[in-house]
Amino acid sequence: MPVDSSIKKLLIVDDSKVSRMLIRTHVLAQYPEWIITEAVCGEDAIAHADSDLPDYCTMDINMPGIPGTDAAEQILSKHPSIKIVIFSANIQETQQNRARSLGTILVAKPVTEKSIALTLNYFADSK
Amino acid sequence: MNNLSELHLDALAEVFSIGAGRAALSLSEIVGDEVRISVPFVQVINSKDINSTTLSLNSGRFGAVSQHFSGPFNAEAVLLFTEEQALKIVSDMMGSQMSLEELAEFEHEAMCELGNIILNACLSAMADILNFTLESSLPDYTVASADEILQRLKANSNQPYVMVLHIDLAIEKRHTAGNLVFLLSSASLDNLITHVDQFLGKIS
Amino acid sequence: MSEISLKPFDMNDIFNTLNLGVCAVDADGKVLLWNDWIAKHSGIKETDALNKPLDQVFSEPVSPSFLTAIKNTLTYRLPVVLSTALHRSPLPLHNISGADQQPTRMYQSITITPIQSQQNESCCLIQVTDSSTSIKREKMLRAHSEILKKEATTDGLTDICNRRFFDAHYEMAVADAKRQKYPLSIFMIDIDYFKSYNDHYGHVAGDDVIKRVADALKSQLSRATDIVARYGGEEFVLVMPNLPQEVAEQFAEKLKSAVFNLAMPHIKSQPFKQVTISVGVCTGIPENNDNLLNKADTALYQAKVKGRNQCICLPLCEAEEYLEQ
Repeated sequence: MPVDSSIKKLLIVDDSKVSRMLIRTHVLAQYPEWIITEAVCGEDAIAHADSDLPDYCTMDINMPGIPGTDAAEQILSKHPSIKIVIFSANIQETQQNRARSLGTILVAKPVTEKSIALTLNYFADSK
Repeated sequence: MNNLSELHLDALAEVFSIGAGRAALSLSEIVGDEVRISVPFVQVINSKDINSTTLSLNSGRFGAVSQHFSGPFNAEAVLLFTEEQALKIVSDMMGSQMSLEELAEFEHEAMCELGNIILNACLSAMADILNFTLESSLPDYTVASADEILQRLKANSNQPYVMVLHIDLAIEKRHTAGNLVFLLSSASLDNLITHVDQFLGKIS
Repeated sequence: MSEISLKPFDMNDIFNTLNLGVCAVDADGKVLLWNDWIAKHSGIKETDALNKPLDQVFSEPVSPSFLTAIKNTLTYRLPVVLSTALHRSPLPLHNISGADQQPTRMYQSITITPIQSQQNESCCLIQVTDSSTSIKREKMLRAHSEILKKEATTDGLTDICNRRFFDAHYEMAVADAKRQKYPLSIFMIDIDYFKSYNDHYGHVAGDDVIKRVADALKSQLSRATDIVARYGGEEFVLVMPNLPQEVAEQFAEKLKSAVFNLAMPHIKSQPFKQVTISVGVCTGIPENNDNLLNKADTALYQAKVKGRNQCICLPLCEAEEYLEQ
């Protein structure tokens, strides 16, 4: 297995520990070598993006503090190469449009093999 | 039931936040406006201690939509809202100029639907995530004081614990907001926890 | 079950005699049952409906929320209620009122429940009831209450909004402007030397002046968001959201001219000898409820002092500078 560029860094942003665990478990099942960091709110995510420079990020919307979509916007303005998927239970049209306007996609929770596959495909396609 | 961990509560909160997201989607399709529903917290309370004060419900009349569920565990789910709030939400959803008195004409059926949307969304999220299905009765709607409703709920189940969810609902552009209380009481709430354990077992 | 065959009726007869619509669809959404009630109100015969996907049976579209509800019931086996209040008329069903009349679309209440077929398939049962009569009652109630509402909010003499309506509207308009951060303009208007007019021409003529000024002011409004109200005696107030300061100033001049152009004689009013108004305007993004109205009143006072038949406009902030001039 090549150790170089195939090792990706993923930042998981979600206020629910269970959600973070689920995403981590599903991703590691496919890419055991990936380096995963976690953030529990939007502000925390912005700090992590600056310090860890992840390749990818999954972002919840409804969290304490700023909404995930606002955090994503700030992260993308500083680090346009990070690929972000908005991973949320809030799947109304306004949020879909918001995700689209940020140049990302919105994947509907729950965290399942199917929704993780959508997320990972988006990451793979866009690089 | 006494030893629910942080992780159990977190898992339940996540299940219900997904349910809330689905309910918001259905409601937003009806009102044609963004609807925000969030579940700030989940509690499990000893049913002895359940009264209008512990649930921070004020006096006055409440609308209660209830559905009975059966399957791996039997449960009664009740969604409580103040009557005034309920009418305001329905009037916003109907998008008409009707006064609250006139709305009373439609209150019963519309509240059943509103409750049904939220209860079904939570149940479908449980089914998808915790992997079980429940059968359900059609929704019933009653208007009474909070204590009368809680009394009836306690009489119907002999379970010492009741799961309580506080739900915030807001219709964005119309500045309507309400807090709903979702109560799940069951003679076999332990079975629900077993399903949560199985689910957590897969990821930890 | 043998129990059913022992009953004194053919269940099929009962099914077709029901005064509600009953239909069932299978897991693929194909029609399995279609009773006479549905056939009558849809104009589609049972034989034309059976085994077709429900959304293709009708020639007109079925509401998307109805289709979502069916899908949810089939997937999660949970019952769904579609209320009249929130959906009105999900299915293209009609009522035929008279022989030569056009059929009218029926208001409906619908319940959808999961049901198992004898082959153990997951299906759903749809029950439809006609709620047209309760809707009619609702419309009558609404029309009635709108008349009452109009009486409670209209000024009897001038037929424009009354003070009570203004007070409620002003509070909401300020709150909206504050929240959405757009400017709000308040115009305070007073008929010049009105007391002398009354003394000289009498109260009946005075009332007529008030009426004609109200009409002239009202005729200048075209946006649905704008209101003119009788504030008291010979005083009027206009509330107009979202006007830039200079547009509000021009509009005040228009109001002044509209009344001037009525050319109503007023021998006691110098120097014009006809009915004129003074206008005080305040425009700004409100922060405090009282500011706008108070500033407009200050502006009106200045217009009076400056000789009447005048408009004075004050911005909500920086008003101090204007006052010093």
